[in-house]
Amino acid sequence: MKILRELTRLQHELGYLEDATLRQVAERMRVPLYRIEGLVSFYPMFRRTPPPRLHVNVCRDICCRMARDPNASAPLLDQLRTRDDIEIREVSCLGRCDAAPALAINGTPVAPRTMHDLQEVLPCVEQPASLSNEPNEKTRRWKCDPYADASQRYGTVRSLVEAGTVAATCIERLEQSRLRGMGGAGFPTGRKWELVFQETATPKYVICNADESEPGTFKDRVILDELPHLVIEGMLLAGLTVGAERGIVFLRHEYGREHQALQRALQQARAAGVLGPNAANSDQAFDIEVFVSPGGYILGEETALLEALEDKRGEPRHKPPYPGTHGLWGQPTLINNVETFALATSILHHGATWWEQQSEGDFSGLKFVSISGDVVHPGVHEIPLGTTVRELIRLAGGMPDGESLKAFLPGGASSNFLTAAHADTPLDFDRMQQAGSMLGTGAVIVLSERRDLFDMATSLVRFFRNESCGKCLPCRLGTEQATEILQCIQAGNASSEQLQFVEALNDTLQQTSICGLGQVALNPLLSLLKHFPDDVPQ
Amino acid sequence: MNMITLAIDGQKVTVPESTTIWQAARQLGIEIPTLCHAPDMNPAGVCRMCVVDVRERALAASCVRECQHGMDVATSSPDLERHRRVLTQLLLAEHPTPCAREETTKDCQLEQLGRRYGLIDPGGVEADSLTPTAARAAARPSDLSSPVIAVDHRACILCDRCIRACNDIQSNEVIGRTGKGHASRIAFDLDQPMGESSCVSCGECASACPTGALTHKPITLPIVPRDALTSVDTICPYCGVGCAVTYHCQDDQIVFAEGRDSRVNRGRLCVKGRYGWDYTSHPQRLTTPLIRREEYYPKGPLSDEVRSSLRKDRSRPGGIVDYQQVMSAFREASWDEAIELVGRRLKEILARHGGSALAGFGSAKCSNEEAYLFQKLIRAGLGTNNVDHCTRLCHASSVAALMETIGSGAVTNVFADVARAEVALVTGSNTPANHPVAATFMKEAAKRHTDLILVDVRRNALADFAKHFAQIRPGTDVAFYNGVMHVLIRDSLIDRDFVANRTEGFDALEQLVLSDYAPRRASSICGVSEEQIVAIAHTIGRARSMMIFWGMGISQHTTGTDNARCLISLCLLTGNVGRPGTGLHPLRGQNNVQGASDAGLIPIVYPDYQSVSQSGNREKFERAWGRPLDPAPGLTVVEIMDGALERSIRGMIIMGENPFLSDPNSNKVRQALAALDFLVVHDIFLTETAEFADVVLPAASFFEKRGTYTNTDRRVQLGRRVLPPPGDAREDWKILCDVGRSIGLAMDYESASDVFDEFAKLTNNYRGLSHDNLGSTGKLWPCPDPRTGDGTQILFGERFPTPNGKGKLVPCPYQPANELPDAQYSFILSTGRLLAHWHTGTMTRRSRALSEIEPGPFAALHPADLAELGVSDGARIRVSSRRGSIELAARADRSIDRGVIFIPFHFREAAANVLTTDALDPYGKIPEFKFCAVRVERV
Repeated sequence: MKILRELTRLQHELGYLEDATLRQVAERMRVPLYRIEGLVSFYPMFRRTPPPRLHVNVCRDICCRMARDPNASAPLLDQLRTRDDIEIREVSCLGRCDAAPALAINGTPVAPRTMHDLQEVLPCVEQPASLSNEPNEKTRRWKCDPYADASQRYGTVRSLVEAGTVAATCIERLEQSRLRGMGGAGFPTGRKWELVFQETATPKYVICNADESEPGTFKDRVILDELPHLVIEGMLLAGLTVGAERGIVFLRHEYGREHQALQRALQQARAAGVLGPNAANSDQAFDIEVFVSPGGYILGEETALLEALEDKRGEPRHKPPYPGTHGLWGQPTLINNVETFALATSILHHGATWWEQQSEGDFSGLKFVSISGDVVHPGVHEIPLGTTVRELIRLAGGMPDGESLKAFLPGGASSNFLTAAHADTPLDFDRMQQAGSMLGTGAVIVLSERRDLFDMATSLVRFFRNESCGKCLPCRLGTEQATEILQCIQAGNASSEQLQFVEALNDTLQQTSICGLGQVALNPLLSLLKHFPDDVPQ
Repeated sequence: MNMITLAIDGQKVTVPESTTIWQAARQLGIEIPTLCHAPDMNPAGVCRMCVVDVRERALAASCVRECQHGMDVATSSPDLERHRRVLTQLLLAEHPTPCAREETTKDCQLEQLGRRYGLIDPGGVEADSLTPTAARAAARPSDLSSPVIAVDHRACILCDRCIRACNDIQSNEVIGRTGKGHASRIAFDLDQPMGESSCVSCGECASACPTGALTHKPITLPIVPRDALTSVDTICPYCGVGCAVTYHCQDDQIVFAEGRDSRVNRGRLCVKGRYGWDYTSHPQRLTTPLIRREEYYPKGPLSDEVRSSLRKDRSRPGGIVDYQQVMSAFREASWDEAIELVGRRLKEILARHGGSALAGFGSAKCSNEEAYLFQKLIRAGLGTNNVDHCTRLCHASSVAALMETIGSGAVTNVFADVARAEVALVTGSNTPANHPVAATFMKEAAKRHTDLILVDVRRNALADFAKHFAQIRPGTDVAFYNGVMHVLIRDSLIDRDFVANRTEGFDALEQLVLSDYAPRRASSICGVSEEQIVAIAHTIGRARSMMIFWGMGISQHTTGTDNARCLISLCLLTGNVGRPGTGLHPLRGQNNVQGASDAGLIPIVYPDYQSVSQSGNREKFERAWGRPLDPAPGLTVVEIMDGALERSIRGMIIMGENPFLSDPNSNKVRQALAALDFLVVHDIFLTETAEFADVVLPAASFFEKRGTYTNTDRRVQLGRRVLPPPGDAREDWKILCDVGRSIGLAMDYESASDVFDEFAKLTNNYRGLSHDNLGSTGKLWPCPDPRTGDGTQILFGERFPTPNGKGKLVPCPYQPANELPDAQYSFILSTGRLLAHWHTGTMTRRSRALSEIEPGPFAALHPADLAELGVSDGARIRVSSRRGSIELAARADRSIDRGVIFIPFHFREAAANVLTTDALDPYGKIPEFKFCAVRVERV
């Protein structure tokens, strides 16, 4: 954490990191130069050349691609590029899919209405005003928030501490609730807490993964902004359960506003004695620090995240061992997603029965979903699990006039495309899997009939190519090769062997990649070939 | 240890816990293909070629996955082969087939896999179908900036082997990955060209690379497959580490070298060993005997550089000697004529002035056999003990102290045992430059769990790995170590039992260090803070084991013996002798400085340190050699030079040494050599010293003869003949026999092996060893069971070889250096060596790669001192002492303290020893190379 924080500090202070600066860092921190090089070249937050007055990061991923007419936006960007004081870079998803098309000007996210009218774009670039989490209804009530007002906050942890049964109650209630991890992989939360609880090695760590970066995913951003205390309380409960004294929120660097909200909440928690040397009167120390990610989707992979915290290149580790036994600096580490911690607080407050009652039929509990793409009001919704996709689209204001559903991605960029015929499938881990896709992060991307699905799938594969860390061969070369072949197909000069090779490649990537990124990188493409073969250019 | 049983391809196997599947499969004889893994490396698991089916959702990389109970592993199946084929295909799509490795040693592991999977046809052409990325990959750069390694990023498969070779194995920490995803590349430092990075050119990366991404540049002939070359397993000719090497040869030239697995170097090499052997085929090699022409008497120097240290004409670039200037002084002669002349002149001097007017310098670069014969020739043939060699200039004081205190001058434990030491104290040693491969083991240990303490005048590369680095003022070691011992005794951190049972003299030592060397006083002398002295003492005192390594920074002082006594006392006080991870290890410089001393190239002892003053010893050798021997101890190196000046020494034989450049106060040496009535030199080149010779005899180089060499660990290893000698050049041992016969000493041996047998029989420590039982990796002396044993690694577990079996603690008060700086000469000069060069440069400056890496002389000073002098980095300065002046380039160097200047002594055009003082340590008679006062001026 030390080296990356120092590099981050210098990046903010100096605007860029020249070799002389890096040599000083290496000498001061007694780190070999090659390690510094490895870090500053790996993480997109760092730049090596003096910045222009305005550096404009343009999101190139699926939702923003849908929101702008490429034929019109390209000339506009070219026009901006002619200015000496502006530097345009196309970047991966900024987590502002609900405001697409999104840009970041000197790090501040903005959203011009379109990307083809210079008169609309230029004011956003020249005078960036930070985006709020539209629709911003700070007064809106979330079902999972058990507290009617600020004075009741941390009541759950306080009462459990008073009862002296934090660990046992937490593990029991979470297991009863069958809460699953909301970061994408869906591992049972109670079991994870119990595994780390049982580890004897100390110290232990609790980490909140707030690095959601998959195109279409922005629910954690809203939770951090509006429910930071639930996340903090969840982490505290976890810390008291497993016996950790140190919590870390690993936050993506594009979430500046949410960072401030979180820091305010942490201050309040410390002031209230909830965090600190005697956290919530538990006789145990627990505090939380925020580590701002130096960037990259791969860091959402929990072992890549750990590598980053250890000042290494964010390259996923080999598993086993898993973080529960060998996590941060080799110690037992509990890692959950933002939403998981927030929901855990809710469950631990109300109990498992209440949780079950939040949805109907075979389903239990709540889920935050982000919906984007071809809907009138993209945004975050807290839905009972089992809500159908059709219902969710209705909640998001339906599809724009005159458009009908062609396909959707139920769980972000790595989930398989489903067709309109699946619109009545309930949003649920098992049901989505049965339908041939996955709930993943709960990022529903809606695509109307007018969309070129092949172009969308290519964009998704390109996203994984761009975000591949490069550690293992199949992902590094396979995603590149697949992208190149897709471009050949688009251009109409691909051979049939090449198309077949994509399928072989998918198989090898799934079987031999080190982490999930490589394993799923070609999923959307393969599901396209399966469900929408006619969308593939001949 | 827990054992685990699993099944691999249906075969049951039981392995220790934490064994990987790849290792377990290997035990069963199942080779799982891999590109990124090698047995001596930590697994990276990035190429995925070694994936196996462990009946999970996805395949597992066998190189990283540990075996588990009851696992059922399949290492081969149509599916696995299909995936491996796809992975190979992905790599080949970006690979320049054939790559540089395939075009040289023909062992590109990727192309081998390509052929296995039918992706490259037998003609070597890629069966191409889907290579849209090839064009972009082809744009990847190559980097030819290193003098020894070619980088081709197109052929790089990012297996990270070079990264692990550089960082894990050699701990040089230069190579890493830069960039991300498909744009990832390997990079040096901050992505500098390799030749401009901090790379030390050890070549470990190129040896580890499985493809043509990193390949060795040719040194002599183009590199071709090994099976087209003649390969000889031998050792490296350079330093005392004695690395095992295989040389691959063609047409009487070495084509390339590879590290060989042995307990010494485990396959590792440094830049000199890997790339610095082409001197042996340099056109300046001497190939025929030379006799000085009449018109070149009276004798004097021949080349400009030897005539004067300040050349008038600065336009000449320096470098090796211009043979045109020197060769005209000699005429070619037959061996018979030359040997007859040598015999006649030696006999004349003997008759007129007696044996004591003759002297010989043997060489620590020659074999044990040659060292033995040389001292036999001088002692039995010329009747004098005036025989010495360059150990006088390196560890004479260490040996004097060791002999005095523990009764033996050799190391008590091997350097690799640093891995078991809780503390390693390295002092007065720039190990990464002078014993580079030994340094890799120190760094490796420091990265694991050994606390490394570096005490040195300069901050060398070990400092980055050290728990404590104390930058000590030159010449103040005694005060520093007395301070450390003060704290150890004061804070009861000594080993009382060991002190009581195994040592004597504690009271006097305690009295001295407790009363006079409190940390404050020690600190005021040595410049290391009180806190650090205490911290270092506590680290040492609390450790259960410590090894002490030292080099010339300890020994080359007028207080060198005192310095070594202090280290020995420190070791004895803390009971750190005779156990694993403990011991005293003076790092030996030359490849055979241990052996040359063992063989008796010392004026006061016969072979195996048998004193010449004891009549029993003398009688033993008189019987063995059939000649009366001189009972008087002989003169040492500097005393012999003094004798020449005073004309008490009239004639000399110098074998493979170059005292003009290596001895202190060159201007005096010049006069001394010129004053000799007769000088015969055998060497492989016409050295600066040979310019004063009457007869020059062409010797075979290390590569051209067979013989044994004893490394710093006491490991006796066989050097095998790699090449034939050029022209009429002869092995030194044969020359010695010729000279012996010419003066009537019968020296008839069939082979070097016979010489070794005669030598070994006269010793205790070599007894039982022979050329036949040394094997491919040698044996440590003493070796009680040479047929099966490797020899004795750790000495003195029970008693010391002293009369009463006890080690002696010798109290040493601090004494300042001989020539302290003053207003006129305000800088302290310290001399030493560079990684890329060897001693007087005779060999290394004639090596293409090494002289390219360090082409010329320089003086290193702190940048602040340079600024004060108004000298910019690289500008010329004049450095003068009371004895002479040289001019050379200044180099800014933060590793050096203010007020100190460091000059390497390899360079004849700016010979550091023009400046040095010949003041001697009273016991070891070693000159103070590490301290004299100089003046620095802009030119």
